[in-house]
Amino acid sequence: MKSKNLSNKILRLIKSKGFKNIELDPVLETKYILQRSGENIRKYLFSFYNSDGRELCLRPDLTISSLLRYAQNNINAKEKVFYTGSAFRKSYNKKNVVVKQIGMEIFSSKNENKDDKEILDTSIKIIKKIGFKKANVKIGNFKLFELLIKKLSMPQRWKSRLLKFYWNEKYFSELLKRLQSNSDIDPIVVAGDKKNYLKMKKENPNKIIAGRSYREIIERYERKINDPRTVETGKYSVKIIREFLKIKCSLKDAPKKLNTFYKKYNLNISVGKDFFPISNLKQKGINFEFSTSNGRGKDVEYYSSFIFSIEVRFKNSIKTLVAGGRYNDLTSKILGLKKIPAVGAAINL
Amino acid sequence: MSKEIINIGIVSKGRLKKESEKIFKKKKLKIYYNKRELLGKIKDRPNIRVLFLHAREIIEQIAIGKLDIGISGFDLLKESEINIQKNIKVEKKLNFGFANLILAVREEFIDVFTTLDLDEVADEFRKKNKRLIRIGSKYPNLTRQYLYSRGVTNFSIVKSRGATESMAAISTAELISDITSSGQTLKANKLRILSDGEILKSQACLMSSKLSKNKKGLKKLIKNLI
Repeated sequence: MKSKNLSNKILRLIKSKGFKNIELDPVLETKYILQRSGENIRKYLFSFYNSDGRELCLRPDLTISSLLRYAQNNINAKEKVFYTGSAFRKSYNKKNVVVKQIGMEIFSSKNENKDDKEILDTSIKIIKKIGFKKANVKIGNFKLFELLIKKLSMPQRWKSRLLKFYWNEKYFSELLKRLQSNSDIDPIVVAGDKKNYLKMKKENPNKIIAGRSYREIIERYERKINDPRTVETGKYSVKIIREFLKIKCSLKDAPKKLNTFYKKYNLNISVGKDFFPISNLKQKGINFEFSTSNGRGKDVEYYSSFIFSIEVRFKNSIKTLVAGGRYNDLTSKILGLKKIPAVGAAINL
Repeated sequence: MSKEIINIGIVSKGRLKKESEKIFKKKKLKIYYNKRELLGKIKDRPNIRVLFLHAREIIEQIAIGKLDIGISGFDLLKESEINIQKNIKVEKKLNFGFANLILAVREEFIDVFTTLDLDEVADEFRKKNKRLIRIGSKYPNLTRQYLYSRGVTNFSIVKSRGATESMAAISTAELISDITSSGQTLKANKLRILSDGEILKSQACLMSSKLSKNKKGLKKLIKNLI
């Protein structure tokens, strides 16, 4: 099927579900992209300076553009939108410089679970509509990891770090190694810092050094030494986290498997079906799979709970055709704007 | 420059120059030149020309094929733009010019021990001062790449032209990334390396231009040198 016919078919289906077509600016202010924490994205950006000194770039991703449009137009009501267009990323492969994308988003959900279901249901319908008889729907939920971390014994700053770097598989693994061994702590440097600490305590707390006051430095130092991490609890927490991240099963068995895991470690957590927004698990040709690690290692750190991808077999290889999820914190934590609950999916043609 | 002549780039001063000359001498390719002259020759090898240049320039000239081989720092190669890197082959890492590119903070920053602390402090700094924490560096590309890989994004780079260690003291930057071999200059300037602050291990390298790979006699010369 020709690509244009294919997109028209998809767009008609999305429109029939009540989504409104929107046009997006091809150029964005680079600061909105760079503020996306934890992502090495600058190397992909086609950026340049405007005459007024602002750094601009070609949109590397349509989700951010659609969200910025919603935030900057001060819309507060629920809005269901879809768009089509190109995203631009620097690449060593000419074919990947311009990526055609179709996307749909629901902003300011009143009932998040219902809207999550709608995005997932529409995505499955798209797969069927374009002729795939079989597909593998992979589902995960970041909230499950958040619940686990809250229950584990470790300093608060370490909880925040593990949550922040959950999506960055390689760095996360390095953090776990540190957490279980204290290998990054050099006793000579610690002793030197202690000496400096005692010296600084005697000085004027308002003294500024490299943009920070002595008071601020001392307070943060004291918070750290009063809430240390220990090798013993670190090792135990790491063991639990590693085991958790290996959980993979059919979506039908997910609540049972997770609850057995939580019970095994006396974590006092119980999860129900509301973590997995799908009502009909018996769809012909569709396999629903759950994994606690879904989405990790990809550039998706803005997802805050539900995450999914749909894979199909195409020309003897497995392709991810649709991917999406809920990203309630993207505007507030990462773009520095007001909080906008949002869920969406991108169809990769 | 003529196609028949093999052009070799060597750092024009300091220890790198001396050590590079030693390598050639050991292989019976002693370099001759007049004091202050920036061109040298090798006895009985009229097809070889030696040019004494800045370490950065050696890399740039190898990348465009004006130099066929040269000795320069691995740090400078990795810092250079991708179009430069893709035209250069590292033939051999040499046994001198060892230094590390590191990230260092003022020693009064007793609460900043790792890049994880730096990430948290950078966030707080931004909220409090309404501007980004500044890192002084002659290596903006490597520093940016390293910090992004560790999730630190709330910073700006202030390009340094020299004496980077003084930037934190004179308030042109809050922390620095710089090349160090013994750490003595850092210590003297009240700076401390973060425990995971090693960005790159560097040393002198013999490099060749991919654009010159078919030049007559070059393969043999490289083989002799490595």
